[in-house]
Amino acid sequence: MSSTPSGGGSTGPVAVELRGITKRFPGVVANHDIDITVAPGTVHAIVGENGAGKSTLMKTLYGMHKPDEGTIQVKGREVRFNSPSDAIKNGIGMVHQHFMLADNLTVLENVVLGAERRHGIGNKARERIRTLSAQYGLGVDPDRLMEDLGVGDRQRVEILKVLYRGAETIILDEPTAVLVPQEVDELFDNLRELKREGLTVIFISHKLDEVLSVADEITVIRRGTTVATADPRTTTARELATLMVGGELPVPELRESTVTDHVVLSLNGVTVSSPDGRDVVDDVSVDIHKGEIVGIAGVEGNGQSELIEAIMGMRRTSAGRISLEGEDITSWSTLRIREAGVGYIPEDRHRHGVLLESPLWENRVLGHQTRTPSVRGPWIDRTGARKDSERIVAEYDVRTPNIDVIADALSGGNQQKFIIGREMSGEPRFLVAAHPTRGVDVGAQNAIWEQLREARAEGLAVLLISADLDELIGMSDTLHVILRGRLVAEADPATVTPEQLGSAMTGAGLESDGQERTGADPGAGEEENEGGA
Amino acid sequence: MSKLPRPDMTMSGPVAAAIAAALGTGLTVGLDLALLWWVALIIGVVVAFAFVAWSAPLVPDERRAGADGTKEEGTALHNTLVVPMALILAVVAGLLSAWLLDLQLQEWAAALLGAAIGSVLAFVLFHRLSAMLALSFAAVFAAGAIAIGVTAAVLYFSGIPPLATFERMVEYGARPDSMVQIINDSVTFYLAAVAVAIGFKMKLFNIGVDGQYRLAALLAAAVGGYLILPPVISQFVVIVTAVAVGGVWAGIAGYLKVSRGVSEVISTIMLNSIATGITAYLLTEGRLAVEISTNNIGTPPIPESGWVPGIPATFLGSDREIFGLIFLAIAVGIGYWVMLNRTRFGFELRATGQSKTAAEASGIDVKKMVFLSMLFSGMVAGLVGLPQLLGSSHYYALDFPTGIGFTGIAIALLGRNHPVGIVFAALFWSYLNQAAGILPFDGIPQEIAVIAQATIVLTVVVVYEVVHRWGRRYQQQQIGKQLGRTTETTPEPASVSHGTGPEHGSVEGEGDDGAPGRSDGTDGERDGEAQ
Repeated sequence: MSSTPSGGGSTGPVAVELRGITKRFPGVVANHDIDITVAPGTVHAIVGENGAGKSTLMKTLYGMHKPDEGTIQVKGREVRFNSPSDAIKNGIGMVHQHFMLADNLTVLENVVLGAERRHGIGNKARERIRTLSAQYGLGVDPDRLMEDLGVGDRQRVEILKVLYRGAETIILDEPTAVLVPQEVDELFDNLRELKREGLTVIFISHKLDEVLSVADEITVIRRGTTVATADPRTTTARELATLMVGGELPVPELRESTVTDHVVLSLNGVTVSSPDGRDVVDDVSVDIHKGEIVGIAGVEGNGQSELIEAIMGMRRTSAGRISLEGEDITSWSTLRIREAGVGYIPEDRHRHGVLLESPLWENRVLGHQTRTPSVRGPWIDRTGARKDSERIVAEYDVRTPNIDVIADALSGGNQQKFIIGREMSGEPRFLVAAHPTRGVDVGAQNAIWEQLREARAEGLAVLLISADLDELIGMSDTLHVILRGRLVAEADPATVTPEQLGSAMTGAGLESDGQERTGADPGAGEEENEGGA
Repeated sequence: MSKLPRPDMTMSGPVAAAIAAALGTGLTVGLDLALLWWVALIIGVVVAFAFVAWSAPLVPDERRAGADGTKEEGTALHNTLVVPMALILAVVAGLLSAWLLDLQLQEWAAALLGAAIGSVLAFVLFHRLSAMLALSFAAVFAAGAIAIGVTAAVLYFSGIPPLATFERMVEYGARPDSMVQIINDSVTFYLAAVAVAIGFKMKLFNIGVDGQYRLAALLAAAVGGYLILPPVISQFVVIVTAVAVGGVWAGIAGYLKVSRGVSEVISTIMLNSIATGITAYLLTEGRLAVEISTNNIGTPPIPESGWVPGIPATFLGSDREIFGLIFLAIAVGIGYWVMLNRTRFGFELRATGQSKTAAEASGIDVKKMVFLSMLFSGMVAGLVGLPQLLGSSHYYALDFPTGIGFTGIAIALLGRNHPVGIVFAALFWSYLNQAAGILPFDGIPQEIAVIAQATIVLTVVVVYEVVHRWGRRYQQQQIGKQLGRTTETTPEPASVSHGTGPEHGSVEGEGDDGAPGRSDGTDGERDGEAQ
């Protein structure tokens, strides 16, 4: 592989070199034959679809697991990492997507935690943090309490933590996923500063416009292997997208409207209070019609989970009425609601959707343990459940050797397809779909969208909650924005852009910010693709 | 073995099994003339097993997938673990059954039957033993070996010869009277362990089995002693009383857990103390107790019509009797298995135990399940004292056995909460108890049995968990590989561009010729749905 360091301009040995890395996991081709060369003093981006194997690769590099094959070289020396601390010793640090910080400690305490030997825990450490902060322009005050800091600041603390441990190569795993646009710009300034100071940054993302604006070199990963290395100055977002998915991005979209005027689920002033008395869902009123998909957009933690749980009868409402085709189901139990024909694709499938240690066919029974074909009277109908599991596996293209394997052995996408197959069986009238394509590979994503479209055409009413704005816009007939438990805006999915939706989600209203586009964004790229197809 | 030439034919399963059995039996009988019977039997079974292994490819491929459903034959795990495990199990089963039959039959006949059983098992195990089950057996054997090693070390450093001690224990434990005692103890232990296991399946820790069974036994004994009822009805009423009392006592803990969130560990421990207090209060003269002998008081003895007759153990060579309520224990075991694996309730119980959140989202009333499983656990716990009460002592006195509930916890752990596993665990436990009984006569501390028991529980739990985890990961990898093969063989455009992509070098060139080449793969799909 010939990748000439294009940015930074430093010479000397490469910072990190991965050769022929292969890592196998159950059900997924996690990584195979990965070759990456990262030049020192550059920002090297690794892009790929969800499930392409980026995170697996970075975990390998950070010593969280060992590769089955292949070698890792750091500064020209071959290394073997048994744990992240080995990686840290070799100057490789990682900032995780989900911060690993203790809220009730100060910045200083968080930074020195686990690295007390370096500079102690007192003034020497504080001084060191100040120095580092000034050197790299991070603007971190060591004595602030963590819980007072915003997301962007927390991320900088995470970066500082890594620097404090002497890292020269920093891995950032999807760092922009949690940031708002302004914070993203600040982060990129920080990254450029790090680069200027001679550090190497490995930046993982699937947001192409960001990658193009900050990276010196881009490696594209698809289906677990490196497919190309690109120079951001000569590559367009569209080319990158094509490389990423090996074809064009699947686009979530609906065909002709199937919405009828028959209301299936009606929420009327639904309010849910948290134990401390706050209204986490506040006076939500929505009608969902037969053949309609109603999308709800919102930054996570704005009451979506609570709303779903209220509909599913897992959480009591404090006010309002939920009715299913005219029947008041507000006080029904989860079981009764499910029996009445409500399917549920949970947002966290491992917590709510499957029994990981049970075979697939037993998972077929889950949630349907009172209905045929899973049970006969008080007995589990093994034959019936097994037969229907076979049907789901075949119809929903669940990749599994058979239905006796435990659910845990399947990849996330296949688990999700099985769950959707299960929830669609028994002719549901209404479906709650929370993040139906989260953590699912492109092929499965497409299949899931297709299943939703088909069910909608057959008259299913769907409440769709997702963090993927393209999915929401593409798949919804009606789109609401939820903010602090309230539905604050209704958007027309035919005309709204992800940017407008994004600003509405943060409370800025639907219309502002719409025109401010920075460079080529994936949304635009997709629209062009759509025209082509 | 596999090097031998095989005839070009197929054999139906039963035929192969019959040949194996005939081979093993014939060889055993023949060698019996020249060798000790057990040596002959081992050789016979091993040869039968070898035949099975050799003929395996000839036997049509039936449903011989393991519990995980993947093809296991030919994998490294199957060859290194499952096959040897099947061999060991077949030989051990053959030896044990021959030894048991020897008590009844002529030596040669026992050896013959033992060899037949061993050979047939060799066939069944070779074809049906799943990797996970073999792993479990291996774990138990490993734990047993470790426990024996630790016990031997303790003995050795105490200046007691380990081998001689073990020999003495084995000899004493195999005496007919000892065996009856072992079986009777196991019946009681089994019930206690099932009671604990019901809770464990739900991740509930019912430490209160001890209090539950003591209170239940006391009240049931009182009912049986004071109410003079016709036979059958009397036994029935006593059993129902015990079940009800046990259920109520555990139900209190269950109720506190669901209504107030009180940890069942705490509440059952406290209920144990309260039960001790209540039994002490009730078991005084003038309340429930009468004088039994000079320094013992208890409930009035149950009249003979209310007893459960024992089974004479003459077939074991003993004139003592096995508890008649062994059938109750068997029924409880079967009921436990059916409930767990075949009923909706059992499914909900396991689901709740595995993932409370998933159970809740699936419409399972978790609180109800917690309460009910606690209740059932207590109801079974109520039965624990009955074999002793109805089969042997016939009254509840100060010397009624205590502490069985805690033993039940250990046995449930040892038996991995499995109805059959618990049988073996209970037998093993009471065997150690009984066999150690001889040691004080030789001036050896009896407590070495306790050391052995404690070590084996610890090692089984640890080794089993380690092996289980490893096995699960191995299984996942197998599935991953299996699926990986199938997905890799399907033509995918990615592999094409992957071959050419990185070697291209020039970035622009790649962007250009990469895109059109790739667009025909996934695009077709997308085109279809766009229209």
